[in-house]
Amino acid sequence: MSRRVIGANLVVSLKTFSREKSVMFFTVAFPIILVLVFGTIFLNQDNVSFDLSVQDLDQTNSSARLVKTLELNGKFKITTIGPAIDARRYAQDKKVNLVLVIPSGYEKAFVRRLGLVGGVPNAAFGDPNASVTVTYIYDGGASSTSTKIQILRSGFAVVNQGMSGRPPFIREAETSMLTAKYRFIEFFVPGIIAMSVMTSSLSGAVNMNAELRQKGVIRKLSTTPITRTDWILSNILYQFILAVLCTMAILVVSYAVFSVRLQVNAWLLVFIVLEVFAFGGIGMILTRVASEAESATAAANFIMFPMMFLSGSFFPLEMMPGFLQTIARILPLYYVNEGLRASMIFVDHTAALRYSAIIGVFAIVVFVLGINTTRWDEGK
Amino acid sequence: MTTDPEHAIDVENLTKRYGDLLAVNDISFHVRTGEVFAFLGPNGAGKTTTVEIIETIRTPTSGKVCLLGMDVTTRKRDIVPRIGVLPQGFSSFDRITVRETIQYYARLFSRRNIDVDGLIELANLKDKSQEQFKNLSGGLKQRLGIAIALVNDPEVVFLDEPTTGLDPRARREVWDVLLSLKKNGKTVFLTTHYMEEAELLADTVAIISKGKIVAMGSPDELIERNANYLVLTVKTSDGTPLDIIRRLGFEPVHDKHKNIKVRVEHPDDIQRILNALKDAGASSLSLDVRKPNLEAVFLKLTGEALREGSVEGVPE
Repeated sequence: MSRRVIGANLVVSLKTFSREKSVMFFTVAFPIILVLVFGTIFLNQDNVSFDLSVQDLDQTNSSARLVKTLELNGKFKITTIGPAIDARRYAQDKKVNLVLVIPSGYEKAFVRRLGLVGGVPNAAFGDPNASVTVTYIYDGGASSTSTKIQILRSGFAVVNQGMSGRPPFIREAETSMLTAKYRFIEFFVPGIIAMSVMTSSLSGAVNMNAELRQKGVIRKLSTTPITRTDWILSNILYQFILAVLCTMAILVVSYAVFSVRLQVNAWLLVFIVLEVFAFGGIGMILTRVASEAESATAAANFIMFPMMFLSGSFFPLEMMPGFLQTIARILPLYYVNEGLRASMIFVDHTAALRYSAIIGVFAIVVFVLGINTTRWDEGK
Repeated sequence: MTTDPEHAIDVENLTKRYGDLLAVNDISFHVRTGEVFAFLGPNGAGKTTTVEIIETIRTPTSGKVCLLGMDVTTRKRDIVPRIGVLPQGFSSFDRITVRETIQYYARLFSRRNIDVDGLIELANLKDKSQEQFKNLSGGLKQRLGIAIALVNDPEVVFLDEPTTGLDPRARREVWDVLLSLKKNGKTVFLTTHYMEEAELLADTVAIISKGKIVAMGSPDELIERNANYLVLTVKTSDGTPLDIIRRLGFEPVHDKHKNIKVRVEHPDDIQRILNALKDAGASSLSLDVRKPNLEAVFLKLTGEALREGSVEGVPE
């Protein structure tokens, strides 16, 4: 391995990249446009209206007044749910992303707190520790939920300020309908990162093996001291640099425009490295089967597009029928998607480790196969 | 096999088979240090296969090939830094400029202080040094390829069909570069199917056809040995020159421009023909005497033309 040779190759690759505007567009700008377009579509959908469902288990004048106050202050369009209904079930069935539950005993606690005697507050009789707890049943996947909860909180703060005493009268409890607390855009961004690393690694391998071979550049290189190992390593390194560049661009835009809450940790780097090796390896194998540049590009697209849509890059796997979910689980991109989400959204190191192990084994196998199928000289 | 230190390349009983196809059929030859050696033959004769075996990028089926005294099948690592190659159909990275491309290849050979400007000048690419490869014409690309083949100051330079596909002017410009290379005393192994190229540049020409070397020697030797005659072309407007010449015992023919071509063995014969024509009263006579070229040698030895349509009716 020669560092000088690898350095020379990197310089050539990066210069080519910076001079080839269409490659730059598809590598960097295209994923960013996807993030912006889809992020905006789903953001707006969440913001259309501030619907609020309220279940009043107390069914008293006091609780009704609280609902009225929220409606006026928060400009909510309120739908009331009967006390006998299972609010959680209701939310799921009606696709409501937030239900506010006012507990029974609200009025009693209210009276105790204020020490109401004949409708007049009397501090001497008031119990400063009397309080009620309202519950939010919410869908963390919808981006409007947190906004609505913020508005409700400020409404409750007004009520609490009206009460003397330290402990707040209205306390809050949360019940999530989904286990995950993330917005669509936070789900989407790791998928886009995985997708763009895949496309650039795969097409990079196709370019190095099929196009440069067809043009005769490889034949010339095989008469110089550069070895096959140096050549493959240079290309992998270049793909990795591109992948990091592209990921950074996607993340910067996502943070700046959508204020995503995604954690960037070492796993991100691990998954990018493994993905570059995995798809670089697939590309090398592919160009052995389809050696002409055009057919190799077609074959790469044939692999990339179904993989993008089937492995949960753009939407959750749960939305797909069962047999497609089974197919997804045999696609390498699925494990990159899930691994990136485990590390970036849920910060679940155990899951990230599991996914990285799976994609790691896959990467080693295809990369070794890829190296062995790549011809360097003109053959026997 | 003994390796003569005077020999840059020694090839002995080289055979290359692709499945049923016998591409190179038991050939032997050697290239002396400092000479320009040309492989002349039509497409598919086995030129590129042979040259790629010597360059170490193909393996022979049988036979022995030594380059600079080293076996090409086992000493690739030692051979590669000492040779320069312009492969057939040379191409490079589209978006990289002439100067950057030369620098890139110099780095592959770990050459620090190469004279990039000198190479650019040698290849006559001064005006184009900042031009990207994709914007170069065919001739410029080939000249850059030649410059690159020289970045490691090689002892042996291989040029595989350096002018194929170029227009006549671009071809001449490449030849200019090759002539200055020859002046520098490099050992050059050239393959071509242009006999003018071989005649102009080569010290030794090997004529190859269907995987076999059919003749070898300097261009003059080859012509002397295989086409030792002159071709007289006569153009006249009146009389019956064809009959007159025929009566002298020659076999004249009309070419496609209605000129008369006669093959003669001796310069004195020309005088005889001219006198006979004059006596018969032929006027407005114009004539042309030519020595046959390698094309004719090739045609005689192999019965096929080097390139389609390259041979004008030369009387046998």
